[in-house]
Amino acid sequence: MELNFDIIVVGAGHAGIEACLASARLGLNTLLITTNIERIGYMSCNPSIGGLAKGHMVREIDILGGQMGTAADQSCIQFKRLNESRGPAVRGTRTQNDKHVFSQIQKTAILNQPHLKTIESEVKKLIIKNQICIGVILQDGSEIFALRTVVTTGTFMNGIMHIGLEQTPGGRVGDKASIGLSDQLLNYGFCVQRLKTGTPARLDKKSIDWSKTTPQSGDDKFYPFSYKSKKEFYLPQALCYLSRTSELTHDIIRKNLDKSPMFCGIIEGIGPRYCPSIEDKITRFADKTSHQTFLEPEGLNSDLIYLQGISTSLPADIQDQFLKTIPGLENVKVIRYGYAVEYDYVEPTQIHHHFETRPIKNLFLAGQINGTSGYEEAAAQGFLAGVNAARSVLEKSNIILARDEAYSGVLIDDLVTKGTREPYRMFTSRAEHRLVLREDNTMDRLLERAREIGLVNQSALDQFEIIKQRRTIFHDYLKAQVFYPNAITNQKVADMGSSPLLKPLTAVEFLRRPEIVFKNLEILGIKMDSAEDVTDAVEIEVKYSGYIKKQLEVIRQSKLLENFHIPTELIYENIKGLSREEIDKLNRVLPITIGQAQRISGVNPSAIQAILIYLKGHNLVKF
Amino acid sequence: MQTKLNLVRNDDICALSTPVGHSAIAVVRLSGPQSLFILKKLCTKLNQDIVSHKAYLTYAYCDKNEKIDQILVTYFKDQQSYTGESGLEISCHGNPNIVKKILDRLIDLGARLAYPGEFTFRAFINNKIDLVQAEAILALIESQSDSAAKVSLRQLDGQTSDQFKKMESDLIWCLAHIEASIDFSTEGIDIVNDSGLILKLKKLKLQLETLINNFSHGQIIKHGIKVAILGKPNAGKSSLLNICVQSEKAIVTEIAGTTRDVIEAQTQHNGISLLISDTAGLRETSDKVEKIGVHRSIAEIDKSDLNIFVLDSADKIDEQFIKNLNLLKNQKFIIVCNKADLITEIQKTALADEISRAVLNAQDKINSIDNYNNSKKDKIYFSNQILFVSCFESSCRDSLLNFILQQFDNLNFLDEAMVSSARQIEMVKIALDFLNKSIEELEQGLGSEFIAQTLKDAMLAIQKILGHVYDDQILDRVFKEFCLGK
Repeated sequence: MELNFDIIVVGAGHAGIEACLASARLGLNTLLITTNIERIGYMSCNPSIGGLAKGHMVREIDILGGQMGTAADQSCIQFKRLNESRGPAVRGTRTQNDKHVFSQIQKTAILNQPHLKTIESEVKKLIIKNQICIGVILQDGSEIFALRTVVTTGTFMNGIMHIGLEQTPGGRVGDKASIGLSDQLLNYGFCVQRLKTGTPARLDKKSIDWSKTTPQSGDDKFYPFSYKSKKEFYLPQALCYLSRTSELTHDIIRKNLDKSPMFCGIIEGIGPRYCPSIEDKITRFADKTSHQTFLEPEGLNSDLIYLQGISTSLPADIQDQFLKTIPGLENVKVIRYGYAVEYDYVEPTQIHHHFETRPIKNLFLAGQINGTSGYEEAAAQGFLAGVNAARSVLEKSNIILARDEAYSGVLIDDLVTKGTREPYRMFTSRAEHRLVLREDNTMDRLLERAREIGLVNQSALDQFEIIKQRRTIFHDYLKAQVFYPNAITNQKVADMGSSPLLKPLTAVEFLRRPEIVFKNLEILGIKMDSAEDVTDAVEIEVKYSGYIKKQLEVIRQSKLLENFHIPTELIYENIKGLSREEIDKLNRVLPITIGQAQRISGVNPSAIQAILIYLKGHNLVKF
Repeated sequence: MQTKLNLVRNDDICALSTPVGHSAIAVVRLSGPQSLFILKKLCTKLNQDIVSHKAYLTYAYCDKNEKIDQILVTYFKDQQSYTGESGLEISCHGNPNIVKKILDRLIDLGARLAYPGEFTFRAFINNKIDLVQAEAILALIESQSDSAAKVSLRQLDGQTSDQFKKMESDLIWCLAHIEASIDFSTEGIDIVNDSGLILKLKKLKLQLETLINNFSHGQIIKHGIKVAILGKPNAGKSSLLNICVQSEKAIVTEIAGTTRDVIEAQTQHNGISLLISDTAGLRETSDKVEKIGVHRSIAEIDKSDLNIFVLDSADKIDEQFIKNLNLLKNQKFIIVCNKADLITEIQKTALADEISRAVLNAQDKINSIDNYNNSKKDKIYFSNQILFVSCFESSCRDSLLNFILQQFDNLNFLDEAMVSSARQIEMVKIALDFLNKSIEELEQGLGSEFIAQTLKDAMLAIQKILGHVYDDQILDRVFKEFCLGK
């Protein structure tokens, strides 16, 4: 086998797939190393992609040339647009997916990708010379060299699975843990810590009494993640089902808390607050008498049902007991019990915005190893890490998305600046500029970046450009259309439940009235541009222009601080007015700009003022 | 001050902290990292280990042998001082020469003279106080009266800050619910509904409005009430001024148009200072001097906290009355009918009715000319209360001045938290504007993400008052309050 590659990607989860495909598609000689080829692109937890903020990221990387959107669209068995009714600027796309189809698509993409070679093996060690990573050592002792190495080992580093008080090494049921890598990172001065996550039981479809549950269908209209996808469903659509826990369920769990590894102190890792286990829920919210759970099919031809919201690490017999108290599950047969997994992650303040580590050059980390949670967070990181690793080989500048440009930019800046002590999940509320980070304007935001990266072909770019132009034309058309206050018009306006026109108004001005929606304009003779990808964005831009303008102004102001560079030679210990804790935090993150410094949690506004005063006083101001 | 303070570095600053001039003692203050070193150089005979917060009686020296003065010096350790840095307080004898020598010596030893407010600024920078407290300290030093000092003290002990912190946390609570409704819309969690949010926001709105009202009261405590007396010629305006200030300030004759210029006089009532101006009677005139007088009268209207519109009880409600009423639109005013001894009670009632009707008509007229897009309509603020007085009655002064103070709720508000700096009140008003906007948006059913933005603006204004700035608190609150699942 050939022993020299441009880029090695370790791990074939959602981060690894994006990283190796991006690199290979940019023409670099790439090697993917996975411990299990059968599990390429496996969805280890819920059978679903997207959701608020997460769906945004899938779209973002799709426009830039990523892979996840395609696989999610083609394996979609239920589609939903969230916040459709109230929250026009924070709509999010979510799909339920056929897990098998999803991973088949990913595997096919990997195995057929030119410049990409895949081998099945475990990486035992990185080869590091003079603080530079030059390759990896496999379990058989063989060495493979590469100019850049991207590590995406997910939950596998020192992974331990817990079911009750029993522990098994491993990152996922059926897969071994990877041992050795995190010790090596520790030796090189990385701060490596423990996190915990969990997954619910998988149930046998045939053992469930569906009549006691409430069916939940998806939307009829499909808005695919990927610009490359058809706008029709690829697969037949399936139902999910809703059921609820009861006090009976809670009693059983409460009585057996001493058998939960989380509650008797066996698990040290910190779990995600937004995705608590059922043990956690009933303890922290003791006054809630019932919790909802969705029964989600893992695929069209699968017998497995995923029990959303009920992740647990209680022993198998207790799981059997409490599951049977949930309506519909009285005779349930569990195929795989729920479990918790504890794993090592690298405190992400140790990587740069372009995903290369600070301590070791040419080593890139992406995905759950950086303390995140979720397929989409992993994919966004993997994609950008792969692109940047490739670009550094090609001696091109780093691609660093800004916080006002993409959720993926918020993600990496949060990780690098704030670090994380729990599995990090993206929320719209993490993005201070979310009114301009919408799904509908993904293309406008990232078209230039797509061009710069070069993974999207010219005809698609041209297509984006045309849509952009059509939006401008349509917007201009609305500005030019004037409604006059005459009897006929005002009667129509009154029928819409709006107050009569007292002077001529343009369509744009009229649309800003809160009670007026886009389709009202048609009644007044406005010709709608047929494509929704043209009208949707324009509607939001027009209707909420006051809010959006204001946000753009805030962005303009925050750019001043983003452009205020902190010289690398600055010694925080010399600045009076910084607490010990603040100095430690600043030294750990080493912010590049004042803007970044002020986002470090625990660094107070007065500290920022003190730094500014010091920089000005010592003539260290650089713009 | 701001620009100078921006140049402040990590050095030692000193200043005389008591007034300049001769006095029993004077206090010189020093703050900075070299405090202890400077103390040992200044007091060469002080050969013991220096303990923080202990006063030492010793001598200050110019150099090895020349004494400046016998002093009492206290050293304050890092973190345990006013500024948060280590520092010294030197009490010497209150002679300007001695003070100058001590300051010169401190500067020789590496300190520099502090800019005005720099000690307090450092306390803020070092997190010892928040902005409201910093402002209170400066205001306390400047306060001229007991009640003004009381207000500042209350702000210093954190009562005002606490109220703002409470508002901040209420806003975070509202935002947490709104954010949860966006990010966890599918999780089936219990989120307070819109009417619950509106209720909470309306409570906050009331608090902000109270602060704004109290602010103008606070200004009145500081500066007194400015009152202008206006009306037709010969209504008895000058007589009322003279009665109020208990002196013959203005010339009084039977000739209409005697008063040509604005005459100001000061008086006190129930401990509140009043600055009253008598003005030339308002009428059409060709007299050049009187014309100027009428212009000056009109100019007084804007400058006053309250206008007294004086009528002669025997007068008819005529066109001139309506004209004068229009001058008072959007202003705070009261109507006083003078010479009430000349009419009967029945006539008084009739006159009061006639006035009320005239005011209503005038308001209707204003409303009718307003067009659709002009949301800020002119308004005549008339409380329907009319005071009848007679200059010949001994009760005239008390009833008029009581009536005036009533218009300011008698100023009995000192127990509430107050805002007294213009900066703070500006931010309070901004916060109130955004709060009102958010309530409106909730009532319209606008998208949650926009309401969240409006509320964040309101919160930012509150945080600017305290010198805090917004960070991750909302998500933390979300996790504390809600039960979530993946």
